[in-house]
Amino acid sequence: MSNVLELQESDVHHGHEAHHEHHHHETFITKYVFSQDHKMIAKQFLITGMIWAIIGGLFSVLFRLQLGYPESTFPWLEDLLGHWAKGGKILPEFYYALVTMHGTILVFFVLTAGLSGTFANFLIPLQIGARDMASPLLNMLSYWFFFLASIIMFSSLFVQTGPASGGWTIYPPLSALGDASSGSKIGMDLWLTSMAMFIVSSLLGGLNYISTILNLRTKGMSMTRMPLTIWALFFTAVLGVLSFPVLLSGAILLLFDRNLGTSFFLSDIYVNGKILPNEGGSAILFQHLFWFLGHPEVYIILLPAMGMSSEIISVNSRKPIFGYMAMVGSLFAIAILAFLVWAHHMFVTGLNPFLGSFFVLLTLLIAVPSAIKVFNWLTTLWRANIRFTPGMLFAIGFVSLFISGGLTGIFLGNSALDIHLHDTYFVVAHFHIVMGVASFFGMFAGVYHWFPKMYGRYLNNTLAYIHFWITIIGAYLIFWPMHYEGLAGMPRRYYDFSGWESFKMFGGLNEFISVVAMIVFAAQLLFVLNFFHSIFKGRKVTTANPWGANTLEWTTPIRPGHGNWVGEIPEVYRGAYDYGKDGREFIPQTEPVGENESHH
Amino acid sequence: MSTAAVQQGTKWWSGGRSPFNASYGKVMMWYFLMSDAFTFGAFLISYGTIRFSQNHWVDPNHVFNSFPFAGHTNLPLAFVSLMTFILIASSVTMVLAVHEGHKMNKAGVEKYMLWTILGGLCFLGCQAWEWTHLLTGQHEVLVNGQLEYWNTTVAHNPFGPEVMFNGKEVATPGPIAFGSYFFEITGFHGFHVFSGIIINIIMYLKTKMSHFEQRGHYEMIEKAGLYWHFVDLVWVFVFLCFYLI
Amino acid sequence: MSASFSSQEITFHPEHEDSTKPIWRTFWILSILTVIELSIGLVIYNIHKGENPNATLVLAFKGMVCILTLAKAYYIVSVFMHLGSEVRNLIMTIVVPLCLFVWFIAAFLWDGNSWKNLRNRYNRINETPTEQVAPAAKEKGAKD
Repeated sequence: MSNVLELQESDVHHGHEAHHEHHHHETFITKYVFSQDHKMIAKQFLITGMIWAIIGGLFSVLFRLQLGYPESTFPWLEDLLGHWAKGGKILPEFYYALVTMHGTILVFFVLTAGLSGTFANFLIPLQIGARDMASPLLNMLSYWFFFLASIIMFSSLFVQTGPASGGWTIYPPLSALGDASSGSKIGMDLWLTSMAMFIVSSLLGGLNYISTILNLRTKGMSMTRMPLTIWALFFTAVLGVLSFPVLLSGAILLLFDRNLGTSFFLSDIYVNGKILPNEGGSAILFQHLFWFLGHPEVYIILLPAMGMSSEIISVNSRKPIFGYMAMVGSLFAIAILAFLVWAHHMFVTGLNPFLGSFFVLLTLLIAVPSAIKVFNWLTTLWRANIRFTPGMLFAIGFVSLFISGGLTGIFLGNSALDIHLHDTYFVVAHFHIVMGVASFFGMFAGVYHWFPKMYGRYLNNTLAYIHFWITIIGAYLIFWPMHYEGLAGMPRRYYDFSGWESFKMFGGLNEFISVVAMIVFAAQLLFVLNFFHSIFKGRKVTTANPWGANTLEWTTPIRPGHGNWVGEIPEVYRGAYDYGKDGREFIPQTEPVGENESHH
Repeated sequence: MSTAAVQQGTKWWSGGRSPFNASYGKVMMWYFLMSDAFTFGAFLISYGTIRFSQNHWVDPNHVFNSFPFAGHTNLPLAFVSLMTFILIASSVTMVLAVHEGHKMNKAGVEKYMLWTILGGLCFLGCQAWEWTHLLTGQHEVLVNGQLEYWNTTVAHNPFGPEVMFNGKEVATPGPIAFGSYFFEITGFHGFHVFSGIIINIIMYLKTKMSHFEQRGHYEMIEKAGLYWHFVDLVWVFVFLCFYLI
Repeated sequence: MSASFSSQEITFHPEHEDSTKPIWRTFWILSILTVIELSIGLVIYNIHKGENPNATLVLAFKGMVCILTLAKAYYIVSVFMHLGSEVRNLIMTIVVPLCLFVWFIAAFLWDGNSWKNLRNRYNRINETPTEQVAPAAKEKGAKD
């Protein structure tokens, strides 16, 4: 431990004095609200994301209540929700609103902004050796645009006709015609406006992440010495910058169809026996535009989790990550393929089957880099001296979930099988495991691992272990049975299955899933409690490098000020994964390469 | 060449420097333009997709065949050529402004920025005229067996396939998507021109107030220039998609 | 803070040419390309006016216009936006991602064309008496 900088909290003030450009009188507003410090912005993203996660999770509890107990009434629901739950039973319109908002919130506000917003902001400058993001101002604006988007989306929950309820994919014509359903009215406009703000936020953030990683690496931090977290966040940012604008285009066209009488997505529509004047548009075109974003979006959610798990697994295995270049290469391959496979979400829309076969091929190709990654994680863990910290457990959990969810992706990527499985609970199970829960595990792993750096305190380990075991067992108990329901043809997004003879046998299973879902949701509250309690009351971190990790963020003071390093930014001499080399447990990146040092 | 030698010998990716020899601001501007290219790309590709899905499409030479003050003379493509040349010319003056900026010639930058702003305003004026012309120009069209007079809007246009009616050729209603896409994409491009003009005005004022002279470089002009050229670049493709093919 | 960063980022300052010759040369190239495009446009116009428009010929001319447009784009990006004289790394990071447009365009237009075929085959509702279409319209239908 001799090479660890033993810096105490008092050094933070040194940090300020050493950098006069940051040293100005900080008020509460400039320090906690309109802060331009990347670490504070990261915390803002994280906490906003957590609030959204609670709301989105609560929505899933409510609609699971309906699915688990379709014939019961709960009088307290009417007290809670008013006319949306008349007589203690959730109305179908409200059920669709809940499902829609659950998807929107979790996909965009939690797992995009909350995940990469938090960790890209927090880790990029710290791990590449920069004082801050390239443009701290745009970085701050990125958060506030996200905040604006959040406010608009949140307010849409309270309008008279309810929030958007056409599914998180907002397919027209349901979303394009105001008269189509109650959720297609003002709620839909608010959804689109909020999403436009969200895209601006993600663009400002993404441009910052890319130019920071490219331009502001410290001396010696060549691209191939960067931690895998940074590589993953880099590809995530590239995906966001190139794919979100396509959703923006789709959203603008949809807003025009809704409000200006254009016919981009509308054609041959009969309402009450009368044909609408719209002609020549195509609803499928919107699906193409949406999924051109939508598929990269899946990887925008997944890649940061992959990167953080790689880093955490290597640190806590005390072994170098197996196949660093293969890990980078497979991230790159996944990022490229992400742009080429969007129409595999649309096999049953009447897509030209010959065109579809190309999409099948490209989709199945993703299995190759994914398998490389899984292989490398497992080989890193193989015969390692594993430290089961909470962060490590969640990272291993991520690998497990990625394998389980990824395998079903190979089923769904085949257009012939997809005809049977499309829009069933099989799909729900697949994407919840592989992108929903797995990314959440990556996020939890990241929070547990970097919490000491964020707040200078530890999270409570006992609560963390309880949280982990309930969540991983619960996740499998919730989503594993859904595969069987889906194979039996049970469609997703239905309000009530009790009317179908063939799905009646799943009544008990649905009830079971609902109960487990509620337990898992409650376990997440444990995490929230642990998080906020530990910020103020957690055990204090006393050494600068509590995990014995190689990366640069642990060479900063325990609670770094704005500017991160006291004095000069350290230079980097080696890759991030020199663990267990030459009989030493770890060799930080800042240590020059010795003369007799062996090469891996 | 000394610069080539520097390029050869430098370890661009080893950290501590920009691998592009460019400030982060310029890198960000480039990637922003990439992102914007995907926005416009998505619009134009959607337009192409819808056009490919139609049996009949509007012949641009029929729609865009008039010129201000030329009455009903048939002048296909004339006016849009003028607009294209205005935008190319304003692009040239923008490069010249950047060029003067490299030479730290404040007066030169000011002069060419003004020309660029003027070019942008002329282009917007032309577009306003063209929109007005389309929105107010009435054309004979056969609707449900009766002759009507229609203008071109986002919801309808009178440039459909021609049929024989009472011994003469008359047009039927054309594909709705034509007007929708035309107004939407040229509008979005016009919005970019408009914001480009605003940026250029700000840059002009900052030059006038010697902000860049004090800073020691005119990189902001360069970045504004990138944006302006991008607007020109998009127009090249809008010109191709709506007027030429 | 940013100022100190940017001084570190830049490795060398390229020498800028004094003459504005390349700029004007590009201006003339762009103008001439545009004039050629316009004349092709007018040729297409005249083919359409004729008795029996040759679909292949029109398609060939349209292809030519597309290539000319790409040439114009190249000159704008390379000379006006100075990309041609930037470091190779920057050129590659701009040009390579743009290759995504190839599949983006191909797949979208392919599916659009497929919708037309599906509509023409199955949509009996919209069979309105527009059979005697003008030659221009017929050509369109055949080409697209």
